[in-house]
Amino acid sequence: MRRSVSFAFFLAAVVLGASALTAPPRNAAAVAPQKAESAEVKIDNFSFGPSTLTVAVGTTVTWTNRDDIPHTVASSDDPKAFKSKVLDTDEKFSFTFTKAGTYPYFCSIHPKMTAKVVVE
Amino acid sequence: MREGFLGTAAPLAADVVLLLEIGMGVGLLIGAWLARRKRFRQHAWCQSAIVLLNLAVILVAMTPSFRSQVLPRIPAKLGRPYFALATVHAGLGTITELAGLYILLCAGTRLLPEKLRLTQYKAWMRGVLVFWWLVLLLGFATYVRWYAPNWFANQRGFDSGRR
Repeated sequence: MRRSVSFAFFLAAVVLGASALTAPPRNAAAVAPQKAESAEVKIDNFSFGPSTLTVAVGTTVTWTNRDDIPHTVASSDDPKAFKSKVLDTDEKFSFTFTKAGTYPYFCSIHPKMTAKVVVE
Repeated sequence: MREGFLGTAAPLAADVVLLLEIGMGVGLLIGAWLARRKRFRQHAWCQSAIVLLNLAVILVAMTPSFRSQVLPRIPAKLGRPYFALATVHAGLGTITELAGLYILLCAGTRLLPEKLRLTQYKAWMRGVLVFWWLVLLLGFATYVRWYAPNWFANQRGFDSGRR
């Protein structure tokens, strides 16, 4: 009987210890400051990739022109939420999305190039 | 901004300008042929209309596009072929259009004082015609470089960009 009680205590201690090790700390946000989110869009071969990008509010999206031709990144909305200058090869443009919604955009030099950012 | 209709990545305005410019280049050749046939009145109307139409196209379509897309990147990016082509096209095109307007002023009006007027019309007109076609070819090269670099290879890029 005494032996079985000791075993039950031992088992309970193992279970509690394991759960303490695997569970996330309750105050994780307070311990480490939340990292700002970022996402990348590649411009290549006359297209934006990915064509639809879904991100969280507050995310900074960076477009990089990997094409051997100048491009722009311009919001299709009126008034424009964002608009880059003409981006030469390997140049970047960044924009931080602070409001939820769908943001369609295009290249103002090549209007066939379209894509969108969905902010949730 | 509306898409073009020539199957390239160009906007509608660029396609319209390209076709207009090719039409004007051919029109100037027809005007030169009229002069050789001694039909000088028709020659004068034909060349004057084309020079003035080209001035309108430059002011309405080409200059705004050049100012927003090319001018902010020069001289730093002149080593890049697409900026270099557009800049040479713009420079030579401006000189040629001004020379065309000068011929119109000398031949069709009395606005300029006597000493500023031309004496060798034929040489000037032929020179402007040659330069006009040179600028037209540079403009075509600029169009291809900016909007259809794969034109002579394949259409993969433009199709994959469509949604």
